[in-house]
Amino acid sequence: MEDESFTDISGKPVSLDCRNHSNFCREFTVSSAKISIGKVLAYTCCVWLLAYAVFWVTENTAVLSSAILITLVGMTLHIHFVKVDHESLLVIGSLGIQVSSSYASGRETTTFIEMNKIKDIVINEAIYMQQIIYYLCVLLKDPSDPEGASSVVPLFQSSKPRLDCLVKVYKSCQEILSKC
Amino acid sequence: MVLRIFFPQCCNQADSGLLVGHWMPGHDSAVVLAVIHYPFIPGQVKQYLQQMRSQSGVELSVLGSWSIPKEGQEHMESFLRDLSTIFPQDCWLQLSRTIGKMGFNCHVIYQDLNGSTTSCKAAKKNGKIKGCDRESGEDNEEELGDEEKMILIHYEQRKVMQSQLHPIEVPDTDPPSELREVFQTVARSRPLFFLDRYDDGPLKSTHWQSQGREASIIVELLKQASVPLCLLISWLLSKWTRICNFSLFNLYPLRFLSSKLSTCDQWSYRTEHMRTLSSVKPAAGHTPFMRKANILVSLLVDVALGVLLMSWLYRDNRISIIANALLPAADHVAKELEELLQWLMGAPAGLKMNRALDQVLGRFFLYHIHLWISYIHLMSPFIETILWYGGLSACLGITFALSLLSDMVALLTFHIYCFYVYGARLYCLKIYGLSSLWRLFRGKKWNVLRQRVDSCSYDLDQLFIGTLLFTILLFLLPTTALYYLVFTLLRLVVVMFQGVLHLSVDIINSFPLFAVGLRVCQPYQLAEGVKFRVLCEEPGTALHLLMEINPLKCSAVVQRYRVPTYSCYPKDSWAALVKKLFVGELIYPWRHKTTKSD
Amino acid sequence: MHQRQRAGALKKSSSQKCPEAPADNFRGSTKKHSICMVSDFFYPNMGGVESHIYQLSQCLIEKGHKVVVVTHAYGRRKGVRYLTNGLKVYYLPLQVMYNQSTATTCFHSLPLMRCVFVRERITVVHAHSSFSAMAHDSLFHAKTMGLNTVFTDHSLFGFADVSSVLTNKLLTVSLCDTNHIICVSYTSKENTVLRAALNPEIVSVIPNAVDPTDFTPDPSFRRDDRITIVVISRLVYRKGIDLLGGIIPELCLKYPDLHFLIGGEGPKRIVLEEVREKYQLHDRVRLLGALEHKDVRGVLVQGHIFLNTSLTEAFCMAIVEGASCGLQVVSTRVGGIPEVLPEELITLCEPTVRSLCAGLETVIARQRVGSLPPPESIHSRVRTLYTWRNVAERTEKVYDRVSTEEVLPLDRRLLRLRSHCGPVAGSVFAFMAVLDFLFLLLLQWLVPDRVMDVAVDATGPRSMWGQGSSIKLNATKGAANPDLFGE
Repeated sequence: MEDESFTDISGKPVSLDCRNHSNFCREFTVSSAKISIGKVLAYTCCVWLLAYAVFWVTENTAVLSSAILITLVGMTLHIHFVKVDHESLLVIGSLGIQVSSSYASGRETTTFIEMNKIKDIVINEAIYMQQIIYYLCVLLKDPSDPEGASSVVPLFQSSKPRLDCLVKVYKSCQEILSKC
Repeated sequence: MVLRIFFPQCCNQADSGLLVGHWMPGHDSAVVLAVIHYPFIPGQVKQYLQQMRSQSGVELSVLGSWSIPKEGQEHMESFLRDLSTIFPQDCWLQLSRTIGKMGFNCHVIYQDLNGSTTSCKAAKKNGKIKGCDRESGEDNEEELGDEEKMILIHYEQRKVMQSQLHPIEVPDTDPPSELREVFQTVARSRPLFFLDRYDDGPLKSTHWQSQGREASIIVELLKQASVPLCLLISWLLSKWTRICNFSLFNLYPLRFLSSKLSTCDQWSYRTEHMRTLSSVKPAAGHTPFMRKANILVSLLVDVALGVLLMSWLYRDNRISIIANALLPAADHVAKELEELLQWLMGAPAGLKMNRALDQVLGRFFLYHIHLWISYIHLMSPFIETILWYGGLSACLGITFALSLLSDMVALLTFHIYCFYVYGARLYCLKIYGLSSLWRLFRGKKWNVLRQRVDSCSYDLDQLFIGTLLFTILLFLLPTTALYYLVFTLLRLVVVMFQGVLHLSVDIINSFPLFAVGLRVCQPYQLAEGVKFRVLCEEPGTALHLLMEINPLKCSAVVQRYRVPTYSCYPKDSWAALVKKLFVGELIYPWRHKTTKSD
Repeated sequence: MHQRQRAGALKKSSSQKCPEAPADNFRGSTKKHSICMVSDFFYPNMGGVESHIYQLSQCLIEKGHKVVVVTHAYGRRKGVRYLTNGLKVYYLPLQVMYNQSTATTCFHSLPLMRCVFVRERITVVHAHSSFSAMAHDSLFHAKTMGLNTVFTDHSLFGFADVSSVLTNKLLTVSLCDTNHIICVSYTSKENTVLRAALNPEIVSVIPNAVDPTDFTPDPSFRRDDRITIVVISRLVYRKGIDLLGGIIPELCLKYPDLHFLIGGEGPKRIVLEEVREKYQLHDRVRLLGALEHKDVRGVLVQGHIFLNTSLTEAFCMAIVEGASCGLQVVSTRVGGIPEVLPEELITLCEPTVRSLCAGLETVIARQRVGSLPPPESIHSRVRTLYTWRNVAERTEKVYDRVSTEEVLPLDRRLLRLRSHCGPVAGSVFAFMAVLDFLFLLLLQWLVPDRVMDVAVDATGPRSMWGQGSSIKLNATKGAANPDLFGE
């Protein structure tokens, strides 16, 4: 079990945790930075100041209560649906690959891809927003075309680590995939 | 080559005995279904397995032995190992567990064609695989080095048996999926799970139902009662269909009317549903069962809401209040329309209209409104009765009430529809004329054969007449366009309202409440896939994983199990709709899909 | 980082094989550049500029340089793709406005282009075609970032009408501080120098080339009972399709055994169709529609005469292709066409219907008599005239020269813009250069250079292309490969 720190494509720190459960079963967890208190405070202050300004103009107390409600609901939705705490990749040789992301509120979404559907794991380049980044992805087999890939499943989409982290995960995965 | 064994969680604490299950062909894996305990007679075990094979259709066999060493059972290990000679297998598993340790010890004995045996211990020490030791002296071509690996996957048998893996139908070109086969094997082995511990038979086994079979009295009673009920309903339905097919009703006007009214659509739709529900044969397969269940639940909810609506409507004399409010409302609408027309006949918004055309069109439409108002006044004494009887239809379901409301709105606003059609036709003619004459202006014409615009030389008199007509049409355009615009807007308002009603009817009809309820209460029944968790392992044992069922997302459930309806959805995209409006084509934005039998 | 190669993808371009010793690659300079070709026009669009960029890049890769192509996204083709021999193409998702040319606001392409230049460690930016807004944008940004720039012009332009005046002004601004300019013919050089008020010392002439193995003659495809005239061009006004519409009826009336074979697509197709219908020439005039590049040769060998009616042309590759297939060429005398082929191989006429008809009649008469040279001899003459390796060698010299020159820093650049481009345009663009610089500073603060991963080279001296299996083997054995990602 090793825990190393890398950076993501915006320069923020992420950490990679590799666990070797067995010779052919490994788990990689990439954890993003936690929610910063500063950002939360800034956001809350902005919303409330704005609400107070509106209240000062309109003299309607419903504005203030709605501002509080909006802040609470917004933060709940953010930590439940948007903020990803860590993403993990579990590679079980000859069985398949499991990709899961867990959000800040504890919710987890998991997908399992069977080994007979997987063509390969590769590092690919893509244009993302106004940058060009490297990302790790799983290529799925196309039943009608033995040489082609029917679709691409990108991994670590929320944490987006940089190339050095991806290479480490890639080499490890290839060791297992080539054995089975 | 990694060996994968699917082991049921209920057998974790079972007494020592034989492992019964199924080797999956071509996958290097096996599913353990039950454990048959010691003492047993091998002949009876073989007979029992033969019987189970024919009943379930699954290739059952003895996979190996299972032992939890207890007090006074020291010779069990060697006894179980010798059993491998009685039940000849290519591969004999020996799983054992010591109380206090979490991991299992796994031992695999391979029997090749030569009859010699080689055993490999899948033990791990410090991450390295121990080498195999050969028991027989014969040379074997295969090199079984340190590559022998095993994964033990624990699964919860009851949930896997009841679960349905989605997508349900897989195209044949896809490679065979191991997990799908595991699920299917467990589901088909139901006959195996009837033998429990408390039977008097010679064999005792452990599986998820070994504590006794579960059943429910209410379910049994309902099952008994449903058959005569279904027969009754299907008899009633056949009578009704016979009446409907009466030749009198096949006359053209009635048929045309009934195809336009949404109430008739809804009625035929519900009849179809009742026919599905009332068939005596039980549903074969998962999809027909879910369809039936969804239909039943939606029908019940529909009727419940309808009865609720009725109880609200018939209280406090509400019907007469509504009836009394309806006539003044219709009058008010007519008066507003008249005022609108008067305004258009004057100088609307400061625009100057062509006086003659204006007067003609305005008077034409005013006459229509006058006719309509007289008609409404004629009907006024009957409105309350109509409403009263119409409200009764809500007992059939709220969807009927809503369809009836939509039809009544359509009937009451029939004049707006007529105005729209007149205005649109006039405008459309004008636009086509203008575009054709515009081409003439530029010396081109439309080539119908080649579907393109060609150049063409016209005679002088053709050009002269064409230009004259063009000017006339152009200057009359604002008047027509204004009338068209006004009536199109009115028609769109009515269409929107009807659309809302139809959409809500559609939602009530097609929403799969049963499936959503199943997803909420028993999520393992609708499975999208599986997820694995590594159980904490101890050094010296194989890899242990826990397989849990990953349920389908709610949105996927709704999409998958939607009852197909004559769904009302917009026929054209926004761009096409705007283009049609601009050119003056008649728009029927909500399309009714004809009920297809699926 | 290596990309997984599909079987068969690593095909060496067979057309580039030549019986020369590999030592040729090391003749000349040993300094290897990282070149970025930028244009709006590239594969999957097919045309003169596109094939020029492609062939030039392949030859440069053969010489050991690192080449990367940047263009805009075509339909769903977005992102990073690899062509033969590791040529990396970036299809950037920038909005396409008209005729495959992107919209330009001077700034919106800076973030992505900066990303490409930084991660590929580009040293020279080579832009193509003055019709391409992306090319001008890239020159602008490259100068702000301090990279050397080269521009290749492929077309001729007028001077008189309003659109030409504006375009010429833009060209002046764009080229006033570019390090070097390349034109495809001497006529084109004169035209560009005059339009953009350039110093002729920094303009070189490097003509286009044609791949002679793609266009070989095959007289067996010709039908000897008739004379076939082949026209392959885009059917637009610039290519003189109206002239063609006038030639066809005249000549077809005079010569009953004359046939026309017209390939290509465009808005003027309707003129030809109307002519055909009016004179009932359906069996003698065939309109083939848009042709794939690989089908062009098959069409060319069916003809005896190649006709080109362009009204303006800097360097016409089509006539070289036609001559390479052994056809006799008849063309209008415009632009750079007189420089292309020697006199024996081409008949030049004025761009009028009468003159073209006269020229065609002389060639038809010679064809009937049989006094035209045989196709093989024409092909063997043309083969040695223009080759891509030659073009690449000369371009390499341009890069060597450019890499020693300095890029103007901001203050000198502003001075130059204001002094060279006139008071109005100069000040406006000087202001935009300042804004560009500030935008660049902002981007460098938001996404600093060190945050961007350096790309793994597929071409050039540090290329990883073709080492796939060895790397995988290393990975399996667990050996680390630190050189892979060293700086």
